[in-house]
Amino acid sequence: MSQLSGLASPVVIGILMGGLYVTIALGLSLVFGVMKVINVAHGDLVILGSYLAFSAITIWGLNPLLWLVPSLPLFFILGLLIEKYLLNRAARMSADAALIVAFGLALIVQNASQMIWTPQTRALTTSYSMTTFTVGNVYIPLVYLLDFAAALVVMVALRQFLERTYLGQAITAASQDRQTAELMGINPGRVSQIAFGIAMALAATAGIFFGLTFSFNPTSGTALLIIAFGVTILGGLGSMVGTFIGGMIFGLSQTLGGHFLGPTGQLLVPFLMVLVVLTIRPQGLFGR
Amino acid sequence: MRSYLLLMLLIAVAVGLTLLPVVGAPQIWLLYLFYFFVFLAAANMWNLLAGFSGLLALCPAAFIGLGGYTMTILTWLGIPYYLGIVVGGAVAALFAMIISVSVFRMRGVYFAIGTLVVPAILRLVFLRWKPVGGDLEGGGAGYMVKGVRAIPPETTYWLALAIGLVSVILVVTILRSKFGLGLAAIRDNDVSAASSGIDVFRLKLSSFIIAASVMGVAGGIFYMNQGYIEPNNAFDINWLMIVLLATVIGGKGLEWGPLTGTVIVVALRFQMARYVGISSLIQGLILVVIMLVAPQGIMGLVRDLRKAANSRLVS
Amino acid sequence: MRHEERKNIEMSGNVVLRISDIDVFYGNLQALWGVSLEVKSGEMVAIAGANGAGKTTLLKTISGVLHPSKGSIEYRGKEITGLNAFEIVDRGISHVPEGRRLFPDMTVLQNLIIGSYNSKARAARRENLTRVYELFPILEERKNQLAKTLSGGQQQMVAIGRGLMANPGVIIIDEMSLGLSPILVSELFRTLHEIRGRGITILLVEQNVWRTLHEADRAYVIETGRIVLSGNAQDLVEEEEVRNAYFGA
Repeated sequence: MSQLSGLASPVVIGILMGGLYVTIALGLSLVFGVMKVINVAHGDLVILGSYLAFSAITIWGLNPLLWLVPSLPLFFILGLLIEKYLLNRAARMSADAALIVAFGLALIVQNASQMIWTPQTRALTTSYSMTTFTVGNVYIPLVYLLDFAAALVVMVALRQFLERTYLGQAITAASQDRQTAELMGINPGRVSQIAFGIAMALAATAGIFFGLTFSFNPTSGTALLIIAFGVTILGGLGSMVGTFIGGMIFGLSQTLGGHFLGPTGQLLVPFLMVLVVLTIRPQGLFGR
Repeated sequence: MRSYLLLMLLIAVAVGLTLLPVVGAPQIWLLYLFYFFVFLAAANMWNLLAGFSGLLALCPAAFIGLGGYTMTILTWLGIPYYLGIVVGGAVAALFAMIISVSVFRMRGVYFAIGTLVVPAILRLVFLRWKPVGGDLEGGGAGYMVKGVRAIPPETTYWLALAIGLVSVILVVTILRSKFGLGLAAIRDNDVSAASSGIDVFRLKLSSFIIAASVMGVAGGIFYMNQGYIEPNNAFDINWLMIVLLATVIGGKGLEWGPLTGTVIVVALRFQMARYVGISSLIQGLILVVIMLVAPQGIMGLVRDLRKAANSRLVS
Repeated sequence: MRHEERKNIEMSGNVVLRISDIDVFYGNLQALWGVSLEVKSGEMVAIAGANGAGKTTLLKTISGVLHPSKGSIEYRGKEITGLNAFEIVDRGISHVPEGRRLFPDMTVLQNLIIGSYNSKARAARRENLTRVYELFPILEERKNQLAKTLSGGQQQMVAIGRGLMANPGVIIIDEMSLGLSPILVSELFRTLHEIRGRGITILLVEQNVWRTLHEADRAYVIETGRIVLSGNAQDLVEEEEVRNAYFGA
């Protein structure tokens, strides 16, 4: 099989899919920066987003892109609640405690999803799910373009927020030096809450686009967490450009892994990459 | 408790438990205790890692699954299960040594996530890789364990009892040894422990390998009883949940924490065996609630109550 | 020379910051014993003492990072004991921390702007920024430079500027001269007098006792968590004890 000539497709798809991972990773790294906690439930919360979008379609016939609008404030509030009542308390106890509580949350979300929506694999099917563009001999499904476009929009919006608003700058400051941020009049507890709320809104967004692109089941979140973590670390904390490039790299690793090693390679290669990055370059490409 | 008394107590309990099948205890007891001892072994070892050595290793499934797979594959090669179980422990230990090259360069949350990835990778590997037997037919990636159909239930019970007791003896011994003192120093403060001349790396690695071998043996015993093994079950996050729950409920970093916690975890599982989905959900809830409300666990509460009582006596 | 300047400055005599008999603990370790001090409006007051004497602990308690177990702190007559640090900034006390603690990956301008985060400072942002640029023209030149790439002296300027952006009535400066050349320190002190001239009260903490006593109006000397001497800076300079303890043979 002439594997090299067939590379164009996986490369293009990989890059576009990277957008999806960027959106997922941004939520994770936002929380990690401010609270110094990895929300191991993040992947499962993204999938929860997918499931809620699924219900929106099946129950109300609501187009996922329209569902995006109410899901954002919904998940934002959910995020505020989770931070205030769960993670805040745990983080103040110890880093381990926060990790364990987040893990408990992941289990709760996974199992609740399984109970509500059954373990059966689902997907968000729309009128344009099958739409594909052809460029040369590369087939590009529309949904991948949407993923990439969404990532760009999210990145720009987030960057503007972080650089141009007092709240955004407060989040940035608290990420760099929490104690000094407090000396500026920044309430670190409030800022953590809001950062988490935003991260959840990002998860909702990612969930919708993920569901449009891939099928999912209650256990899909773990793989997402691992890859999102990899993207965050590879890109380097605090660097949005880094996260973007990290997303592309992981997207490529998935498609190329699948191309050369079959379906198992789709996750195996990214997972191995996470281990490699953690081992030899945990500060990432553009890390502080 | 004085070492002598403790030893007598342990021996008495061990003898009693060993004799249970002989005196005609009901099968359901033996089944319950089987799971109890396997989970106890795993929980004790996880507590050794996370509670005593400061290694929040999210990869117990890797060692347990590898132990199970080794034992299973060896039965396909004509090697009896009891040898396979021992080799399984050795393979798990070897694996721990290999991955330590990578994961021991990670600290804190990086180590946690790094170890989380390991069983995920193993699961993928064993989904595709069939070291013995025919090609994958119809997606079945598991193996039956050969030659275990005729094993009497007492034997499986005694094997579980053995590894459970071994785990207790290991923990009790380690905590009273120089090794244990070193671990206590590391858990409090890595850096100052190192500057006091403690070889932090070697101690942590030793814990890691010991825990891996015991978990590997426990895995071999578990899957021998189950009669078959397949990747989605062997490397499942469920194993982590069990050890995490048992340790947290009982008291992380406390000698008798895992034992207390495992009692509750097994009781819970048996009570809720009918409602599989909600059982896991409730276990997740318990984990969160305990961590927020009583993070020191049951044995921790006991210890705190004792301290309060003692200080009242003094004043 | 500086004496004359000092005599010419109007001092209202109002006590703006009053600390009464505070004890402060780090866990079970007591760090401050019955510390009392007063700062009047428009003054420059110094807290001098050796390393580890408790100066930073005292400052952290004033700015709310630590809380006293006993005693009270009043600002403009109102009790602020026990308030969180971010609330105290709102009230009008700005803390320029030891070691500058700039946000390393933010630019000079971003660091200054975040200084005006508290609600009262936001409205006065433009005005305060202009004033900061007047005091430290070099900051305007380098406003888009990342804070971590600046020299020590420039970082100190940004730190003080950032503190001013909070629109404070009292600004607390912890170890300003640490790691800086004497020339730079002189410049900074000149700027401090200008700041004081605009009505902002200054509380200084310094290891460099000799220098500080020549600049401040009044001073307190702290030793192992207790105030051992207080009074006019000029008088303290001449005091035998102080000369022996801090100025060497």
